[in-house]
Amino acid sequence: MPEGTLCNKKTVDTKEYLDALLADKSGKKYYEEMSHLEVDKEKLKKTLAASMKSRMRAWLDLCSHCALCGDTCFLYLANHRDPTQVPSYKIQSTLGKIVKRNGDVDNEHMRYCMDVAWSKCTCCNRCGSFCPYGIDMGVMFGYLRGLCFSQGFVPWELKIGTGMHRIYHAQMDVTSEDWVETCEWMADEQQEEWPGLEIPVDKVGADLMYTLNAREPKHYPEDIAEAAILFHIAGENWTVPSEGWEQTSLAMFAGDWGACKVMVESVYGAMERLKPKRVLGTECGHAHRATVIEGPYWVGRKDGRPPVEYIHYTEWVAEALRTGKIKIDPDKRIKELVTLQDSCNYIRNYGLADVTREIISYLVEPGYFWRTSPGRSLVTWWSRAISSRCTRTGSTTSAAAAAAVLTASACIASSATWA
Amino acid sequence: MQQLYLFISGPLLWLSFGIFFGGLIYRVVTYIRGLDWQADRVAYQAWPALGLKGALRSIVHWLIPYYSVGWRAKPLYTFIFFVFHIGLVGVPLFLAGHAVIFKERWGVAWPTMSMGLADVLTIGVMAAAVCIVIRRIALPEVRIVTTIYDYFLILVSVTPFVTGFLAVHQAAPDYNLWSIAHVLSGELLLVLIPATKLWHVVGFFLSRGQLGADFGIKRGYKGKGFAW
Ligand code: SF4
Ligand code: SF4
Repeated sequence: MPEGTLCNKKTVDTKEYLDALLADKSGKKYYEEMSHLEVDKEKLKKTLAASMKSRMRAWLDLCSHCALCGDTCFLYLANHRDPTQVPSYKIQSTLGKIVKRNGDVDNEHMRYCMDVAWSKCTCCNRCGSFCPYGIDMGVMFGYLRGLCFSQGFVPWELKIGTGMHRIYHAQMDVTSEDWVETCEWMADEQQEEWPGLEIPVDKVGADLMYTLNAREPKHYPEDIAEAAILFHIAGENWTVPSEGWEQTSLAMFAGDWGACKVMVESVYGAMERLKPKRVLGTECGHAHRATVIEGPYWVGRKDGRPPVEYIHYTEWVAEALRTGKIKIDPDKRIKELVTLQDSCNYIRNYGLADVTREIISYLVEPGYFWRTSPGRSLVTWWSRAISSRCTRTGSTTSAAAAAAVLTASACIASSATWA
Repeated sequence: MQQLYLFISGPLLWLSFGIFFGGLIYRVVTYIRGLDWQADRVAYQAWPALGLKGALRSIVHWLIPYYSVGWRAKPLYTFIFFVFHIGLVGVPLFLAGHAVIFKERWGVAWPTMSMGLADVLTIGVMAAAVCIVIRRIALPEVRIVTTIYDYFLILVSVTPFVTGFLAVHQAAPDYNLWSIAHVLSGELLLVLIPATKLWHVVGFFLSRGQLGADFGIKRGYKGKGFAW
């Protein structure tokens, strides 16, 4: 079975392999090799038999091709209503075909699947809520990514990202030593302005254990400092673990379920070691999804919950404002029209809409917030339907980000009509 | 002719009902047995109350016209959809002509609707079907997902209504051709429901309920339940 040295069905478990991928600028050789990569049809068939359960089979089968899901997808809207962006079409022409042919598909189809699964769906789950049957293309594209990954059809960047997780337990090459050093450095830097500020590493029994995104120690260490300053002001008894601090999961984006499990186990391992009362995650939506919402299932926790209560950053901020641990001068509240993007990860999939709105009430002068989900009155129902659409957090494509901006301005525009 | 009619409205009807109910039971059982908490990432058993609440909420919101946000997003389609489905379910169940059969065969008294209402609903079904077909052809986003199979299913769903309507209104003798076509097409529909994606007659409740349970469990224990 011809396989490339860079593009193949193997997972990235050694530094040599990872370095070779990194050295291949823009994945030139990688994608060249992919165009010859053979599909292991037997394996694909077996994977389908083992993992394609009744829920997804019913979804693919029941779809009545009504296209109601069409304009629920921001990628469809952002691409001038291109019919090939209709969620149902996207999934039927990719996963639907693999299932119909029971794995008997060629290289070209797998590359098409790869393109659609990663560049035409962010797994935001919005379409599922608007489909009469609750057919959730986001879930199915997540599954399709897994199938593609297992056959070696994964974007170069994500092959690298998931390799990072396997080797460093972080989405970037940040070792435990680098991380702890960055914390010490950031704590030192603040002493002049915030005397006594600490970033306590591996403190057992703290009230809060903080987890974050490897990008922070790697590129934006001041983000860690800013969080530390807030915890300092709020007087929190907090800590960060030296191992298991990375909360994000490129492995989830890549569909590398093995690496997902490794990543979640490292965070849950830190909970077991340090026994914090609660765990607090960074604001990153997909990190929350990976570690709090889906993570419990990857490691086989039957209650579907992490071992220790794991709160999202917005929950902590709302709580700190509510209890007065952090105060915002009401005179400094924003006096311009403001709206709010509901994240797919911690709002749609976790239900924290009230929490973010509570924060807004401290930040924005009353009357200046345009509620994108204005309740159920008949006057506002349609504006609700067209708003609250996007998913800035968790977007994997620049088109998604562009659509987020578009939706934000659409919300403001509609507020002018309806306010 | 009469013998043929007796056969198709006797043993063949029984057989069709047998396949209909047996097939649907099979669909329900395989669906529920195939649910997998870990693969679906829904802790069904750990949170039965949240799951059930979410499931029922979701189903109810989608059963009532304009109750779910999804229905509200598409007001015209929703209207056509409900005209189509209310007729499709209501007329066969409560038609006086059908109730007579229930009474004769099983001795059960069955509520019936007036002929006038049945006519209106039947015309509604036929008109809605035409709208649905036009929509399939006219809108590019619907056209791209539509297959021949979809038209076939619309055809088999509507044929019993067209034939029934003609049989009733032709004022022809009892066992006319339209009546026979009506009974046969009705039986074909009964058999095809569990065999094709028309199994959505139960599948809707299962699938909608499942997603409702999913969101109920994911969101309900901490944040707000899902606003359908
Ligand atoms: S809304 Fe649902 S049933 Fe309709 S086309 Fe989309 S996925 Fe299929
Ligand atoms: S999950 Fe989101 S991005 Fe993907 S098809 Fe559905 S609406 Fe579009």
